[in-house]
Amino acid sequence: MISLDDVRSAATVIAPHVVRTPLLPFGPGWLKPESLQPIGAFKLRGALNALARMENRANGVVAYSSGNHAQAVAFAARLHGVPAAIVMPDNTPAVKIEATKALGAEVFIVGITERVERAEALVAERGAALIPPFDHVDVIAGQGTIGLEILDDLPSVDAVVVPMSGGGLISGVATAIKALKPEVRVIGAEPALAADIAASLQAGELIRWDPVERAQTAADALRDEPSALTWEHISKLVDDVITVSEDEIFAAVTDLARRTRLIAEPSGAVAVAAQAKIGGTGVAVVSGGNIDPALLARLLAD
Amino acid sequence: MRLVTLEDIHAAAAAIAPHVVHTPLLSFDSSLSIKPECLQAIGAFKIRGAVNALSRIPSEDRARGVVAYSSGNHAQAVAYAAKLLGMPAAIVVPSNTPQLKIDATRAHGAEVFLVGIGEREARAAELVEERGATLIPPFDHPDVIAGQGTIGLEICADLPDVATVLVPVSGGGLISGVATAVKSLRPNVRVIGVEPELSADTAASFAAGSLVRWDAHDRARTIADGLRAEPSELTFAHIREYVDDVVTVTEDEIRSAVGEIARRTRVVAEPSGAVPVAAYLNRSLPAGPTVAVVSGGNLEPKLLAELVGA
Repeated sequence: MISLDDVRSAATVIAPHVVRTPLLPFGPGWLKPESLQPIGAFKLRGALNALARMENRANGVVAYSSGNHAQAVAFAARLHGVPAAIVMPDNTPAVKIEATKALGAEVFIVGITERVERAEALVAERGAALIPPFDHVDVIAGQGTIGLEILDDLPSVDAVVVPMSGGGLISGVATAIKALKPEVRVIGAEPALAADIAASLQAGELIRWDPVERAQTAADALRDEPSALTWEHISKLVDDVITVSEDEIFAAVTDLARRTRLIAEPSGAVAVAAQAKIGGTGVAVVSGGNIDPALLARLLAD
Repeated sequence: MRLVTLEDIHAAAAAIAPHVVHTPLLSFDSSLSIKPECLQAIGAFKIRGAVNALSRIPSEDRARGVVAYSSGNHAQAVAYAAKLLGMPAAIVVPSNTPQLKIDATRAHGAEVFLVGIGEREARAAELVEERGATLIPPFDHPDVIAGQGTIGLEICADLPDVATVLVPVSGGGLISGVATAVKSLRPNVRVIGVEPELSADTAASFAAGSLVRWDAHDRARTIADGLRAEPSELTFAHIREYVDDVVTVTEDEIRSAVGEIARRTRVVAEPSGAVPVAAYLNRSLPAGPTVAVVSGGNLEPKLLAELVGA
């Protein structure tokens, strides 16, 4: 498992390149708007930390992702002047492919089931280094810097609500929070349609849901499942899980735009929906803001 | 006339720090960053001036409260600041104010007085007289200007190589404070005011070298409803002293800037707040690192859907 020192050292490495997101008051609680990062998501923190620590990065980096991790790795690679190859499934929205290319990455479009294989082939061909989206200690440590910032900015915080998918974000945040203030509750949030971690915590062991089932939620960044590494962090450090419906997620997206002037993607609004559901006074992490423009238009028109 | 000083602004920064968001600079493109004041609790920079002005009211006067007249963000700023500092607030608003804004002001615990649009100042003066309360004007006050100026301090601290700062202009409180801070710290940075073409009285005044007045009905044509006021003698004195230029933008440029800000930085700006970005996108401005102050993000839901959802 990662340590507080890992997170602190990540904070020093990434500080010059990430936005120090402020806490924003929202109802009885607070928001940590990671949607304000340059690529629109917290993923930049982990990617920057992982890339900065890589010794074999001269031959470039490889990542597979349809989402925010792709842009995070492309951004971090450009910053360090190394080539990035990103493998994306063929159902990736054009806007995300273009955004990744605009950051200077080479994009490979493959069938959804061929992602990992193709990425591994690129690693082998090029001698490049793979940066996984969550199953990596440096990535987890980078995401954990959010926990440090929350404690710095709101020492009296009583709870932190964090969206869960592969579990990299909550593993890092929980490590920082529990090391410094064990009494602060760390609460995971999941869409009810992709609630495999809620089920796992209840069962006391990692339970797998069919990817087709998990893909039903509109929260497209929360369709992943934990690795053994992130599950270990989650099972030891997370106090509770709240699941939310699709309607609750959409209502949170609309609420964020109207009341706090933040554009959040559905995945980014899940913790906000969870916090609203329990009337919580803690900090909800708004993990990203890369929403499909047509969906945003539809939600705002309601 | 005594102008606000850098010391006044430093003092304001200390007074308001516990109550306002230190907004981060967000990258819009390779040379423009925005300063998203729309992320303040009330959705606009006005909270800075209001908290500073209220915090400087002598303790013996505080129980008698404060009075403000405004249909917009200043009303909510004063109501919010009064709640923070435990003072009663009476806000006079014109009877055509959207119910949403009235409710938001009441939600902060303020007493709201609805009057005909021409009677606002008279009613506010009455309330001041009856209660011995303190009037908090929206811009024509050194403590309000000093509070807004804290934005300039933050820009200089967060982007040391800034070359140009773009600021919306209406009554001029925001640009007076920001320009004072920026020019005192970094005289070589250019401070440029931005106005809607339909409410360009300050651009006209700046060109003429003296205050030129436009009819209020003319100024009311712009969609940027936070930019329909006009400078006072005090704010215009700051503008003449510190501002390098005032440029104007069209209504279409303002509308499309709201959408661009949403797509590139993921924040919601109201038309008044998007005006400096409209200038960056459509006018030829000095090269170099530029900051646009996005002053607010309070839109009616229908307009939000129209401009951001487009």
